[in-house]
Amino acid sequence: MKRIIQISITGGKGGTGKSFVATNLAILLAKKHDLLLADLDLEAPNDHVLLGIDKLHSKEDIKIFLPFIDYKKCTLCGICAKICDTGAIFMPPKNPPIVFPRLCSGCKACYYACPYGAITEGGHVIAYSYLTIIRKFNVSFKLLTGILRPGEEHIPPGLSIIKRKARELAKEILLIDTGAGAGSSISIALQYSDLVIAVTEPTPLGLHDLESILKIVNGLGYRAWVIINRYGLGPIDDHLKIMKMYGVEKYFKIPYSMDAIKSYIQGIPIVAYNPDSIVSKSFYDIYQVLEDEIL
Amino acid sequence: MSSSDLIEIVIASGKGGVGKSTIAASLAIILRNSGYRVIAVDADAEAPNLHLVLGINRWDRVLEYREGRIGFIRDDKCIHCGYCYDSCAFSAIEEKSGRYVINPWICEGCYTCSFVCPVKAISFKYNVLAGYIKIAYNTPYKFPLVSSELKPGRPNSGKLVTEAKNLGRTISGGKGLIIVDAAAGIGCQVIASLAGSHLALLVAEPTPASFSDLKRIHKLTKHFGIPSALIINMYNINNDLVGRIIEYARKENIELLGLLPYDYSVPKSMAMKKPVIHAYPSSEIAKSIIEVCNKLLTLLKDWENWRLKHIPEKIEPFIPVIIKPKELG
Repeated sequence: MKRIIQISITGGKGGTGKSFVATNLAILLAKKHDLLLADLDLEAPNDHVLLGIDKLHSKEDIKIFLPFIDYKKCTLCGICAKICDTGAIFMPPKNPPIVFPRLCSGCKACYYACPYGAITEGGHVIAYSYLTIIRKFNVSFKLLTGILRPGEEHIPPGLSIIKRKARELAKEILLIDTGAGAGSSISIALQYSDLVIAVTEPTPLGLHDLESILKIVNGLGYRAWVIINRYGLGPIDDHLKIMKMYGVEKYFKIPYSMDAIKSYIQGIPIVAYNPDSIVSKSFYDIYQVLEDEIL
Repeated sequence: MSSSDLIEIVIASGKGGVGKSTIAASLAIILRNSGYRVIAVDADAEAPNLHLVLGINRWDRVLEYREGRIGFIRDDKCIHCGYCYDSCAFSAIEEKSGRYVINPWICEGCYTCSFVCPVKAISFKYNVLAGYIKIAYNTPYKFPLVSSELKPGRPNSGKLVTEAKNLGRTISGGKGLIIVDAAAGIGCQVIASLAGSHLALLVAEPTPASFSDLKRIHKLTKHFGIPSALIINMYNINNDLVGRIIEYARKENIELLGLLPYDYSVPKSMAMKKPVIHAYPSSEIAKSIIEVCNKLLTLLKDWENWRLKHIPEKIEPFIPVIIKPKELG
């Protein structure tokens, strides 16, 4: 089996700088390594925006299971509707079941539960994935982007397909950028990490959500580092206490600076836009420690 | 109840960290002080922060939210066939040094693995504690706060949000304003926040990422046929893009409520756990928030007319992309 190294960027709170960190580290890592960056924030994928990429390539449908009822075999027993946790199968009195695709999570329990083999396998496209070769900023790497169809809500099964794809496509380093939040879909994105880097900010909000994410990382048993972004904006004493409590190995600070905002607006990662900025320098430090201790 | 007795305002943005909770907190306070009955609902169950912005740390009621199951594999029965591993749509089953184990941070308890297991080696823990709904009835701001809080790693935060919102509706008695602070993204939590609401207050910052997410969240509000208004936060970090966002809003019939400046008072007030309009009442941002609120108050006074004018002209139907068994190949 090939050995890939998976580094996952997460954070709990939205807008702490996950994608900012992921895109900048991607550029630094791609100089020496074969890199796949996987944007697993299906709801608000922005890595390509931050890299200034207008067009994504190699679109593929992300299909999950959808039950179809074979009315010739259905005995109206109602077991499928009972087993369904998401209310996607409705059993009108004395009538065959009706399936609501949008509510279906594609778990397939109904398919196995039906004693009469009356459920056949159909599909439901809930998201798309794109694979784009990035040749910019003097490096080259692959970007896998998952994008949810607006209106769909069952992220975990779609995410899990895209995640598997990312693990298959990665050759040396898989860098994952997760969405905001701390639910089970974040666990799916983090699964099999060799290292999780949680990006937070020095506010009570950042602190609160950092703790949620560290609970998951701890529970999953992965190594954890923390990046305190916008350092200088407020106190970090409580952040340090939480990090100690959850066994965070290392932490880094990215100083609060208008340089970061300027590069963000331009759609050019700061290590390429302003290599001399103090913000870029923090990224070189993080990269060097990654190189020394993980790669 | 008629819609004008109770108006649900959802604050959403697609992108995280653009100021939803900061704006929600100040808005709720100002609307309450203007005489409205207000109930605030934190609908960001995976990262609930509204209570921190408001500085609320005491809850009058904490309700347990139990939902779902977690499977586990009995080693003494497992024959290592791997059927469960292959069947799980959530990739919750992992192979660890020759053993199959169910990852409790992912498992939703859908039963699929237990159906495919030939030796019945999989059991379930039922009625899992998946989160809390916390209620503060008596806040210093004279409005109650209902906060949804998912346990890290649990699924279906949308269901919890729906429960929290329903509780907010019950407390309201069908009158006044419900201010819903939605999660980042456009997934189940945000859909649960928007369902049945009357006004989407979209927040964007003038960055390419936020603009891109604004279009995605607006697509969703159009699916739901909800009229939208817009606040551009941190407008002065990038004037060029502000123009393009305003142009988009104009074309899409989204009412622009105003622009808020980038202001250091916001992070400072956060550190104090005080809403910025109280911590720094004479700051630029506080003044701008009051202006935005005045515009919102005007809108609410003329609610029925405004709603008719701004309801999406054609509701974008949500059509799932379905593949029939025959086409699956």
